[in-house]
Amino acid sequence: MTLYPVLYHSNMSEFNTPTQRIIAAATLISQGAEAKVYKAELHPPAISGSTSDEGYESEPVLIKHRFNKQYRHPTLDASLTKSRVAGEARAINKCLRAGVNVPGVRMVDLQEGVLGIQWIDGQSIRFLLGGGAEGEEEVEEVDDDGFEEDATESNEDSLKEYNITQDDTMQLIGKEIAKMHKADIIHGDLTTSNMMLRRPSASDQVPELVLIDFGLSYTSSLVEDKAVDLYVLERAFASTHPASESLFGTVMKAYEKEAGKEWKTIGRRLDDVRLRGRKRSMIG
Amino acid sequence: MPGKIRKRSPLKAPERPYIALGLEGSANKLGAGIIKHSPDGSTEVLSNVRHTYITPPGEGFLPRDTAQHHRAWALTVINDALKTAEISLHDIDCICFTKGPGMGAPLTSVALVARTLSLLYNKPLVGVNHCVGHIEMGRQITGAKNPVVLYVSGGNTQVIAYSQQCYRIFGETLDIAVGNCLDRFARVINLSNDPSPGYNIEQEAKKGKRLLTLPYATKGMDVSLSGILTSVEAYTQDKRFRPDGPRNEADTDIITPQDLCFSLQETVFAMLVEITERAMAHIGSKEVLIVGGVGCNERLQEMMGVMATERGGQVFATDERFCIDNGIMIAQAGLLSYRMGFETPLAKSQCTQRFRTDQVHVAWRA
Ligand SMILES: Nc1ncnc2c1ncn2[C@@H]1O[C@H](COP(=O)(O)OP(=O)(O)O)[C@@H](O)[C@H]1O
Ligand SMILES: [Mg+2]
Repeated sequence: MTLYPVLYHSNMSEFNTPTQRIIAAATLISQGAEAKVYKAELHPPAISGSTSDEGYESEPVLIKHRFNKQYRHPTLDASLTKSRVAGEARAINKCLRAGVNVPGVRMVDLQEGVLGIQWIDGQSIRFLLGGGAEGEEEVEEVDDDGFEEDATESNEDSLKEYNITQDDTMQLIGKEIAKMHKADIIHGDLTTSNMMLRRPSASDQVPELVLIDFGLSYTSSLVEDKAVDLYVLERAFASTHPASESLFGTVMKAYEKEAGKEWKTIGRRLDDVRLRGRKRSMIG
Repeated sequence: MPGKIRKRSPLKAPERPYIALGLEGSANKLGAGIIKHSPDGSTEVLSNVRHTYITPPGEGFLPRDTAQHHRAWALTVINDALKTAEISLHDIDCICFTKGPGMGAPLTSVALVARTLSLLYNKPLVGVNHCVGHIEMGRQITGAKNPVVLYVSGGNTQVIAYSQQCYRIFGETLDIAVGNCLDRFARVINLSNDPSPGYNIEQEAKKGKRLLTLPYATKGMDVSLSGILTSVEAYTQDKRFRPDGPRNEADTDIITPQDLCFSLQETVFAMLVEITERAMAHIGSKEVLIVGGVGCNERLQEMMGVMATERGGQVFATDERFCIDNGIMIAQAGLLSYRMGFETPLAKSQCTQRFRTDQVHVAWRA
């Protein structure tokens, strides 16, 4: 079992809780799909009786703050936030026990909607594959002169930094997802934004693929749920990385290999799910 | 980091003004609109006329009756559009019509009108994808450049983003569309279909107080809505349900139709805003555009606006003239592709009930 401090408090005034103080001292990294993420330093839990942290290295953690979403009803917001933070912590621990690469939980605060997890030194797969419409700007009807030709990002360089080819990266993805499914964990939001490569510690080492963002995950042994999980990822690849069609194929080959005999039913169901998707009524 | 990439639009400024007629009839609205693109790059709506087939409370619209409505009103609506625009059919460059998606019979009835006019006046036809029509009109009216698009209507619920000459679908409903969900519930509680069931739900929701628990079902960037419809309907069988308000002053632990409209909107819209936010985070965009009939719901616009502000972004939406199905959006999208050299030959002008947003080659964007 992983040990981490669970913080309880009743005082909600600003910066009064330990969690609020941690956030106040942390550096904002980005605003993800539902949370603000920060990098912070967290000391390991003091063993009862000990008074100093001596001998402990301070470890960087990622603080994921599901702040109050003002757009939705406060009752709905509070219940969603609580169940997602708790659900994410639970799923991560389940993954760890099953040997799936995920960042370990370091701290949970359900009241504040905060989860602290191990910091991963690396980057998201979406970034490394250069997907997304980031900062694209279209200019209509302008003269040709003084115009720079569309500089398409080459991301081979970013992957090179990690000593890994695109193909091998895809294999790591397939393998890790299969391990997760074997443990009956459904991710619920598989996209290339929700997986990271950990920078190798030495130049002769290969990076590790880490799955993140388990806020929508749940436990299920149903073939249907696993197939839908894969279908979500397939669509994410198609929409985010349209230029690289064969990528998902490589992911699936590695998945198949790791999943073993379970692949037969999952693969067949995935075909069904795809068909359903295309048949879905599209009435204007 | 991928920096600001400036891309040149493949659409060249027109050497002379271009005018297009757009005809829409994929569901219960019949629309005719006339648009003009000028050499200075400006776009002008010359007219935008619509006639809606309204059914009695508790009833939906059937394909045959809807097609009948469109046939009966086609000439009136088109003549109105021409008169308002102060032009004749000889002045236009092309006739744009909805090729799909939509209900078969109504689509076909309007396509027939388009083909007839095309032959009579010797004007080229341009078949348009209804969803792309919504997106292009929304971009034109609001000035949003490269937004994440939430497309919400009676038949569709999609989160869309543009990339590489395609409107890609990032998320969508796994079962029924949001407009369908609202309309069906409106029928359960017998709300009027005039001007639209969705509008009346919105008005009722404003009077609701109590948030009832409904299943919240987001799956990544997808949503599932059929379970919510079942649950909200189930509340009308609850002992506490009071279709006509409290029985007396002591009657406080009650559920009113207004509470149900309120709960339905709060839950469903929260899900839609959430999946839109996921798409924004995933592709790194700060603009949202809401299109489609449900897009004129002000509560949805408000919630989306709050979310966008929390991300340092902005929401774009239009009013009912452009949100609700109309002819002008078909004219706009059609004229854009016509200016890129696209035409629909008569032999290929049949309608397709299923025509996905991502099947269209968006030639006019970089
Ligand atoms: N453990 C981690 N270490 C370093 N960076 C992380 C870690 N977890 C997430 N991130 C970064 O933060 C972003 C958002 O985190 P995520 O868990 O996906 O939150 P959200 O639910 O808001 O999408 C990720 O895309 C990634 O770039
Ligand atoms: Mg994420």
